[in-house]
Amino acid sequence: MASNSLKLFYYDAKGRAELIRLVLAAGGREYENVILTQDDWQTEKYKTPFGQLPVMEIGGKKYAQSIALANYCAAECGLYGKTNLDRLNIDQVVCLGSDLVSLATQAFHEKDETRKAEKMKNFAEVEAPRFFNMYEKLLKESSTGYFCGDSLTLADLFIYDQVFTESKWKTFKTEGFPLLNALRKLVESNEKIKAYLATRKPTEF
Amino acid sequence: MAPKPIKLFYFDARGRAEVCRLLLAAAGQKYEDIRYTQEQWETEKDNTPFKQLPVIEIDGKRFGQTIAIITYLATEFGFRGKTNLEALAIDQAVQLTYDFLNCFVKVWVEKDETKKAEYMKHFKEVEVPKYLGFYEKLLKESGTGYFVGNSLSVADLSCYDFLYGLKSMGVLSTDEYPNIQNLQKKVESNEKIKAYLATRKQTPT
Repeated sequence: MASNSLKLFYYDAKGRAELIRLVLAAGGREYENVILTQDDWQTEKYKTPFGQLPVMEIGGKKYAQSIALANYCAAECGLYGKTNLDRLNIDQVVCLGSDLVSLATQAFHEKDETRKAEKMKNFAEVEAPRFFNMYEKLLKESSTGYFCGDSLTLADLFIYDQVFTESKWKTFKTEGFPLLNALRKLVESNEKIKAYLATRKPTEF
Repeated sequence: MAPKPIKLFYFDARGRAEVCRLLLAAAGQKYEDIRYTQEQWETEKDNTPFKQLPVIEIDGKRFGQTIAIITYLATEFGFRGKTNLEALAIDQAVQLTYDFLNCFVKVWVEKDETKKAEYMKHFKEVEVPKYLGFYEKLLKESGTGYFVGNSLSVADLSCYDFLYGLKSMGVLSTDEYPNIQNLQKKVESNEKIKAYLATRKQTPT
Protein backbone atom coordinates (compact mmCIF):
# COMPACT_ATOMS: atom_id res chain seq x y z
CA MET A 1 0.00 0.00 0.00
CA ALA A 2 1.42 3.39 -0.94
CA SER A 3 2.17 5.66 1.98
CA ASN A 4 0.28 8.92 2.31
CA SER A 5 2.00 12.00 0.89
CA LEU A 6 3.12 14.33 3.66
CA LYS A 7 3.20 18.12 3.84
CA LEU A 8 4.55 19.94 6.90
CA PHE A 9 3.57 23.59 7.45
CA TYR A 10 5.56 25.82 9.82
CA TYR A 11 7.26 29.19 10.12
CA ASP A 12 10.81 29.77 8.92
CA ALA A 13 12.15 28.22 12.11
CA LYS A 14 13.07 24.99 13.84
CA GLY A 15 10.80 25.47 16.85
CA ARG A 16 8.01 22.94 17.32
CA ALA A 17 8.43 21.50 13.83
CA GLU A 18 12.02 20.42 14.18
CA LEU A 19 11.27 17.17 15.99
CA ILE A 20 8.98 16.15 13.13
CA ARG A 21 11.69 17.02 10.59
CA LEU A 22 14.26 14.97 12.55
CA VAL A 23 11.92 11.97 12.72
CA LEU A 24 11.15 12.10 9.00
CA ALA A 25 14.87 12.51 8.22
CA ALA A 26 15.80 9.52 10.41
CA GLY A 27 13.02 7.54 8.75
CA GLY A 28 14.19 8.49 5.28
CA ARG A 29 10.68 9.70 4.55
CA GLU A 30 10.05 12.33 1.86
CA TYR A 31 7.76 15.26 2.60
CA GLU A 32 7.04 18.79 1.45
CA ASN A 33 8.53 21.23 3.97
CA VAL A 34 6.25 24.27 3.54
CA ILE A 35 7.58 27.48 5.08
CA LEU A 36 5.02 30.17 5.92
CA THR A 37 5.87 33.85 6.24
CA GLN A 38 4.02 36.00 8.78
CA ASP A 39 1.95 37.38 5.85
CA ASP A 40 1.04 33.88 4.62
CA TRP A 41 0.04 33.02 8.16
CA GLN A 42 -2.61 35.74 8.30
CA THR A 43 -4.70 33.80 5.78
CA GLU A 44 -3.41 30.26 6.35
CA LYS A 45 -4.34 30.42 10.05
CA TYR A 46 -8.01 29.83 9.24
CA LYS A 47 -7.21 26.70 7.26
CA THR A 48 -5.61 25.01 10.28
CA PRO A 49 -7.47 22.90 12.86
CA PHE A 50 -6.66 25.14 15.86
CA GLY A 51 -5.08 28.31 14.47
CA GLN A 52 -1.59 27.07 15.33
CA LEU A 53 1.47 25.55 13.70
CA PRO A 54 2.92 23.02 13.02
CA VAL A 55 0.26 21.38 10.89
CA MET A 56 0.64 18.42 8.57
CA GLU A 57 -1.46 17.59 5.58
CA ILE A 58 -1.74 13.83 5.17
CA GLY A 59 -3.83 12.29 2.44
CA GLY A 60 -5.40 15.72 1.84
CA LYS A 61 -6.50 16.24 5.46
CA LYS A 62 -4.89 18.64 7.95
CA TYR A 63 -3.78 17.60 11.44
CA ALA A 64 -2.21 19.62 14.28
CA GLN A 65 -0.49 19.22 17.67
CA SER A 66 3.27 18.73 17.36
CA ILE A 67 3.46 15.68 19.65
CA ALA A 68 0.56 13.91 17.92
CA LEU A 69 2.28 14.58 14.58
CA ALA A 70 5.67 13.41 15.87
CA ASN A 71 4.03 10.20 17.20
CA TYR A 72 2.43 9.56 13.82
CA CYS A 73 5.67 10.12 11.91
CA ALA A 74 7.58 7.93 14.39
CA ALA A 75 5.03 5.13 13.96
CA GLU A 76 5.22 5.41 10.17
CA CYS A 77 9.04 5.45 10.26
CA GLY A 78 9.56 2.56 12.69
CA LEU A 79 10.93 4.86 15.39
CA TYR A 80 8.24 4.12 17.95
CA GLY A 81 9.47 0.82 19.41
CA LYS A 82 8.14 -2.68 18.73
CA THR A 83 5.62 -3.23 21.51
CA ASN A 84 3.06 -1.20 23.42
CA LEU A 85 5.36 -1.27 26.46
CA ASP A 86 8.21 0.14 24.30
CA ARG A 87 5.83 2.90 23.33
CA LEU A 88 4.97 3.58 26.97
CA ASN A 89 8.70 3.94 27.68
CA ILE A 90 9.11 6.31 24.75
CA ASP A 91 5.98 8.34 25.58
CA GLN A 92 7.12 8.64 29.20
CA VAL A 93 10.33 10.37 28.04
CA VAL A 94 8.49 12.62 25.56
CA CYS A 95 5.87 13.62 28.17
CA LEU A 96 8.57 14.34 30.75
CA GLY A 97 10.41 16.48 28.21
CA SER A 98 7.15 18.24 27.33
CA ASP A 99 6.80 19.30 30.98
CA LEU A 100 10.13 21.12 30.62
CA VAL A 101 8.95 22.73 27.37
CA SER A 102 5.85 24.01 29.27
CA LEU A 103 8.07 25.60 31.91
CA ALA A 104 10.15 27.24 29.18
CA THR A 105 7.06 28.53 27.39
CA GLN A 106 5.59 29.92 30.61
CA ALA A 107 8.85 31.75 31.36
CA PHE A 108 9.27 33.04 27.81
CA HIS A 109 5.71 34.32 27.50
CA GLU A 110 5.51 36.02 30.93
CA LYS A 111 4.37 39.59 30.30
CA ASP A 112 5.60 41.16 33.54
CA GLU A 113 9.28 41.95 32.89
CA THR A 114 10.45 41.34 36.48
CA ARG A 115 8.61 38.02 36.75
CA LYS A 116 9.92 37.06 33.31
CA ALA A 117 13.56 37.65 34.26
CA GLU A 118 13.00 35.61 37.45
CA LYS A 119 11.31 32.77 35.58
CA MET A 120 13.96 32.63 32.82
CA LYS A 121 16.74 32.53 35.44
CA ASN A 122 14.92 29.83 37.41
CA PHE A 123 14.38 27.88 34.22
CA ALA A 124 18.04 27.92 33.18
CA GLU A 125 19.54 27.39 36.64
CA VAL A 126 17.04 25.15 38.41
CA GLU A 127 14.43 23.52 36.18
CA ALA A 128 16.57 22.58 33.16
CA PRO A 129 19.29 20.89 35.30
CA ARG A 130 16.58 19.13 37.33
CA PHE A 131 15.14 17.62 34.16
CA PHE A 132 18.57 16.89 32.67
CA ASN A 133 19.32 14.89 35.83
CA MET A 134 16.13 12.86 35.27
CA TYR A 135 17.20 12.24 31.65
CA GLU A 136 20.64 11.09 32.87
CA LYS A 137 18.92 8.69 35.29
CA LEU A 138 16.72 7.24 32.54
CA LEU A 139 19.69 6.82 30.20
CA LYS A 140 21.64 5.13 32.98
CA GLU A 141 18.74 2.70 33.60
CA SER A 142 18.50 1.94 29.88
CA SER A 143 22.28 1.37 29.64
CA THR A 144 22.27 1.10 25.82
CA GLY A 145 23.00 4.74 25.14
CA TYR A 146 19.46 5.15 23.81
CA PHE A 147 16.43 5.93 25.98
CA CYS A 148 14.49 2.84 24.89
CA GLY A 149 15.87 -0.43 23.60
CA ASP A 150 19.06 -0.51 21.60
CA SER A 151 18.23 1.71 18.67
CA LEU A 152 17.10 5.26 17.87
CA THR A 153 13.53 6.13 18.77
CA LEU A 154 11.33 9.20 19.04
CA ALA A 155 12.43 9.57 22.68
CA ASP A 156 16.08 10.13 21.69
CA LEU A 157 15.16 12.61 18.97
CA PHE A 158 12.79 14.54 21.27
CA ILE A 159 15.40 14.99 24.02
CA TYR A 160 18.19 15.65 21.51
CA ASP A 161 16.10 18.36 19.88
CA GLN A 162 15.08 19.92 23.19
CA VAL A 163 18.55 20.02 24.69
CA PHE A 164 20.86 20.48 21.73
CA THR A 165 19.00 22.13 18.83
CA GLU A 166 20.23 25.71 18.86
CA SER A 167 17.73 28.45 19.48
CA LYS A 168 18.05 32.08 20.52
CA TRP A 169 16.03 31.61 23.72
CA LYS A 170 18.05 28.65 25.07
CA THR A 171 20.38 29.77 27.83
CA PHE A 172 20.83 26.56 29.82
CA LYS A 173 24.14 24.71 30.14
CA THR A 174 24.63 21.15 28.95
CA GLU A 175 28.05 20.40 30.44
CA GLY A 176 28.11 17.97 33.34
CA PHE A 177 25.60 15.55 31.82
CA PRO A 178 27.79 12.78 30.34
CA LEU A 179 25.06 10.40 29.16
CA LEU A 180 23.08 13.23 27.60
CA ASN A 181 26.18 14.38 25.73
CA ALA A 182 26.87 10.80 24.66
CA LEU A 183 23.30 10.66 23.32
CA ARG A 184 24.05 13.77 21.30
CA LYS A 185 27.02 12.05 19.64
CA LEU A 186 24.92 8.96 18.98
CA VAL A 187 22.11 10.94 17.32
CA GLU A 188 24.45 13.12 15.30
CA SER A 189 26.39 10.12 14.02
CA ASN A 190 23.21 8.52 12.63
CA GLU A 191 23.82 8.63 8.84
CA LYS A 192 20.47 10.12 7.91
CA ILE A 193 20.45 12.67 10.74
CA LYS A 194 24.02 13.66 9.87
CA ALA A 195 23.02 14.28 6.27
CA TYR A 196 19.96 16.28 7.35
CA LEU A 197 21.90 18.45 9.82
CA ALA A 198 24.61 19.14 7.24
CA THR A 199 22.15 20.93 4.96
CA ARG A 200 19.72 22.38 7.55
CA LYS A 201 19.36 26.13 7.16
CA PRO A 202 20.34 28.05 10.34
CA THR A 203 17.44 29.98 11.90
CA GLU A 204 17.13 32.15 15.01
CA PHE A 205 14.56 29.93 16.74
CA MET B 1 -2.13 -15.57 28.34
CA ALA B 2 -3.30 -13.76 31.46
CA PRO B 3 -3.12 -9.97 31.26
CA LYS B 4 -0.27 -8.44 33.23
CA PRO B 5 -1.41 -7.26 36.70
CA ILE B 6 -2.02 -3.51 36.76
CA LYS B 7 -1.74 -1.17 39.73
CA LEU B 8 -2.73 2.49 39.49
CA PHE B 9 -1.36 4.93 42.09
CA TYR B 10 -2.84 8.37 42.75
CA PHE B 11 -4.28 10.57 45.47
CA ASP B 12 -7.84 10.08 46.70
CA ALA B 13 -9.27 12.13 43.84
CA ARG B 14 -10.27 11.99 40.16
CA GLY B 15 -7.62 14.51 39.07
CA ARG B 16 -5.09 13.22 36.57
CA ALA B 17 -5.89 9.57 37.21
CA GLU B 18 -9.55 9.52 36.31
CA VAL B 19 -9.04 9.06 32.55
CA CYS B 20 -6.99 5.92 33.42
CA ARG B 21 -9.88 4.66 35.60
CA LEU B 22 -12.42 5.38 32.84
CA LEU B 23 -10.30 3.50 30.29
CA LEU B 24 -9.86 0.52 32.59
CA ALA B 25 -13.60 0.54 33.34
CA ALA B 26 -14.48 0.73 29.62
CA ALA B 27 -12.10 -2.17 29.02
CA GLY B 28 -13.63 -4.22 31.83
CA GLN B 29 -10.08 -4.64 33.13
CA LYS B 30 -9.48 -5.35 36.82
CA TYR B 31 -6.76 -3.35 38.52
CA GLU B 32 -5.66 -2.19 41.95
CA ASP B 33 -6.84 1.41 42.48
CA ILE B 34 -4.37 2.65 45.12
CA ARG B 35 -5.08 6.05 46.68
CA TYR B 36 -2.46 7.76 48.83
CA THR B 37 -3.08 10.20 51.64
CA GLN B 38 -0.68 13.18 51.78
CA GLU B 39 1.26 11.43 54.58
CA GLN B 40 1.63 8.20 52.63
CA TRP B 41 2.72 10.20 49.59
CA GLU B 42 5.63 11.75 51.48
CA THR B 43 7.20 8.31 51.95
CA GLU B 44 6.05 6.75 48.66
CA LYS B 45 7.35 9.64 46.48
CA ASP B 46 10.76 8.04 46.09
CA ASN B 47 9.20 4.84 44.77
CA THR B 48 7.96 6.67 41.67
CA PRO B 49 9.88 7.44 38.47
CA PHE B 50 9.58 11.26 38.71
CA LYS B 51 8.20 11.92 42.23
CA GLN B 52 4.76 12.59 40.71
CA LEU B 53 1.40 10.87 40.36
CA PRO B 54 -0.32 9.18 38.60
CA VAL B 55 1.93 6.14 38.30
CA ILE B 56 1.02 2.81 36.76
CA GLU B 57 2.68 -0.47 37.68
CA ILE B 58 2.57 -3.12 34.99
CA ASP B 59 3.98 -6.53 35.79
CA GLY B 60 6.08 -5.01 38.56
CA LYS B 61 7.54 -2.06 36.60
CA ARG B 62 6.46 1.53 37.28
CA PHE B 63 5.79 4.28 34.76
CA GLY B 64 4.78 7.93 35.17
CA GLN B 65 3.34 10.75 33.01
CA THR B 66 -0.41 10.95 32.52
CA ILE B 67 -0.52 11.07 28.70
CA ALA B 68 1.99 8.21 28.37
CA ILE B 69 -0.14 6.07 30.72
CA ILE B 70 -3.49 6.81 29.08
CA THR B 71 -2.00 6.22 25.61
CA TYR B 72 -0.67 2.85 26.79
CA LEU B 73 -4.03 1.83 28.25
CA ALA B 74 -5.90 3.13 25.20
CA THR B 75 -3.67 1.17 22.81
CA GLU B 76 -3.71 -1.95 24.98
CA PHE B 77 -7.50 -2.07 25.23
CA GLY B 78 -8.59 -0.81 21.80
CA PHE B 79 -9.36 2.84 22.47
CA ARG B 80 -6.80 4.40 20.12
CA GLY B 81 -8.27 3.73 16.69
CA LYS B 82 -7.45 1.06 14.14
CA THR B 83 -4.78 2.77 12.02
CA ASN B 84 -1.85 5.15 12.54
CA LEU B 85 -3.97 7.92 11.03
CA GLU B 86 -6.85 7.29 13.45
CA ALA B 87 -4.29 7.25 16.28
CA LEU B 88 -3.04 10.64 15.04
CA ALA B 89 -6.55 12.09 15.09
CA ILE B 90 -7.06 10.69 18.60
CA ASP B 91 -3.67 11.94 19.86
CA GLN B 92 -4.48 15.34 18.35
CA ALA B 93 -7.67 15.61 20.42
CA VAL B 94 -5.95 14.31 23.57
CA GLN B 95 -3.11 16.85 23.22
CA LEU B 96 -5.71 19.58 22.69
CA THR B 97 -7.44 18.58 25.93
CA TYR B 98 -4.18 18.67 27.87
CA ASP B 99 -3.35 22.11 26.39
CA PHE B 100 -6.77 23.20 27.70
CA LEU B 101 -6.05 21.54 31.04
CA ASN B 102 -2.68 23.32 31.30
CA CYS B 103 -4.46 26.66 30.79
CA PHE B 104 -6.62 25.81 33.80
CA VAL B 105 -3.65 24.62 35.89
CA LYS B 106 -2.17 28.12 35.48
CA VAL B 107 -5.28 29.52 37.23
CA TRP B 108 -5.43 26.76 39.82
CA VAL B 109 -1.78 27.08 41.01
CA GLU B 110 -1.61 30.91 41.11
CA LYS B 111 -1.21 32.01 44.73
CA ASP B 112 -1.59 35.76 44.27
CA GLU B 113 -5.35 36.38 44.64
CA THR B 114 -5.50 39.33 42.23
CA LYS B 115 -3.59 37.51 39.51
CA LYS B 116 -5.65 34.37 40.13
CA ALA B 117 -8.90 36.24 39.57
CA GLU B 118 -7.44 37.82 36.43
CA TYR B 119 -6.35 34.42 35.08
CA MET B 120 -9.75 32.85 35.90
CA LYS B 121 -11.54 35.66 34.06
CA HIS B 122 -9.29 35.14 31.03
CA PHE B 123 -9.83 31.39 31.24
CA LYS B 124 -13.62 31.69 31.31
CA GLU B 125 -13.91 34.44 28.70
CA VAL B 126 -11.19 33.44 26.25
CA GLU B 127 -9.89 29.88 26.72
CA VAL B 128 -13.22 28.17 27.45
CA PRO B 129 -15.05 29.36 24.30
CA LYS B 130 -11.91 28.74 22.26
CA TYR B 131 -11.46 25.11 23.31
CA LEU B 132 -15.17 24.27 23.42
CA GLY B 133 -15.32 25.71 19.91
CA PHE B 134 -12.52 23.36 18.80
CA TYR B 135 -14.25 20.33 20.35
CA GLU B 136 -17.53 21.25 18.71
CA LYS B 137 -15.78 21.63 15.33
CA LEU B 138 -13.94 18.29 15.58
CA LEU B 139 -17.09 16.44 16.61
CA LYS B 140 -19.10 18.04 13.83
CA GLU B 141 -16.42 17.10 11.27
CA SER B 142 -16.37 13.53 12.54
CA GLY B 143 -20.14 13.24 12.25
CA THR B 144 -20.30 9.96 14.24
CA GLY B 145 -20.82 11.45 17.69
CA TYR B 146 -17.29 10.37 18.65
CA PHE B 147 -14.13 12.36 17.99
CA VAL B 148 -12.64 9.68 15.73
CA GLY B 149 -14.26 6.82 13.87
CA ASN B 150 -17.49 5.38 15.19
CA SER B 151 -16.42 4.03 18.54
CA LEU B 152 -15.28 5.28 21.92
CA SER B 153 -11.65 6.34 22.17
CA VAL B 154 -9.36 7.97 24.72
CA ALA B 155 -10.06 11.27 22.90
CA ASP B 156 -13.72 11.06 23.99
CA LEU B 157 -12.90 9.96 27.54
CA SER B 158 -10.25 12.61 28.22
CA CYS B 159 -12.49 15.41 26.90
CA TYR B 160 -15.46 14.07 28.86
CA ASP B 161 -13.48 13.82 32.09
CA PHE B 162 -11.92 17.27 31.92
CA LEU B 163 -15.24 18.95 31.12
CA TYR B 164 -16.93 17.00 33.92
CA GLY B 165 -14.38 18.39 36.39
CA LEU B 166 -14.79 21.98 35.18
CA LYS B 167 -18.60 21.73 35.19
CA SER B 168 -18.64 20.33 38.71
CA MET B 169 -16.52 23.31 39.83
CA GLY B 170 -18.97 25.70 38.16
CA VAL B 171 -16.28 26.99 35.81
CA LEU B 172 -18.16 26.31 32.59
CA SER B 173 -21.35 25.04 31.02
CA THR B 174 -21.65 23.00 27.83
CA ASP B 175 -25.31 23.91 27.28
CA GLU B 176 -24.63 25.82 24.08
CA TYR B 177 -22.59 23.10 22.44
CA PRO B 178 -24.90 20.40 21.02
CA ASN B 179 -22.13 18.12 19.72
CA ILE B 180 -20.29 18.21 23.05
CA GLN B 181 -23.57 17.51 24.89
CA ASN B 182 -24.13 14.56 22.58
CA LEU B 183 -20.61 13.25 23.29
CA GLN B 184 -21.23 13.45 27.02
CA LYS B 185 -24.45 11.45 26.60
CA LYS B 186 -22.67 8.87 24.47
CA VAL B 187 -19.90 8.39 27.03
CA GLU B 188 -22.35 8.16 29.92
CA SER B 189 -24.55 5.64 28.11
CA ASN B 190 -21.65 3.25 27.41
CA GLU B 191 -22.66 0.21 29.51
CA LYS B 192 -19.37 -0.26 31.34
CA ILE B 193 -18.82 3.49 31.88
CA LYS B 194 -22.39 3.82 33.14
CA ALA B 195 -21.82 1.08 35.70
CA TYR B 196 -18.53 2.61 36.77
CA LEU B 197 -19.98 6.12 37.16
CA ALA B 198 -22.89 4.80 39.20
CA THR B 199 -20.58 3.48 41.91
CA ARG B 200 -17.60 5.79 41.53
CA LYS B 201 -16.38 7.33 44.78
CA GLN B 202 -17.42 11.00 44.94
CA THR B 203 -14.52 13.38 45.52
CA PRO B 204 -14.36 17.19 45.18
CA THR B 205 -11.73 17.06 42.38
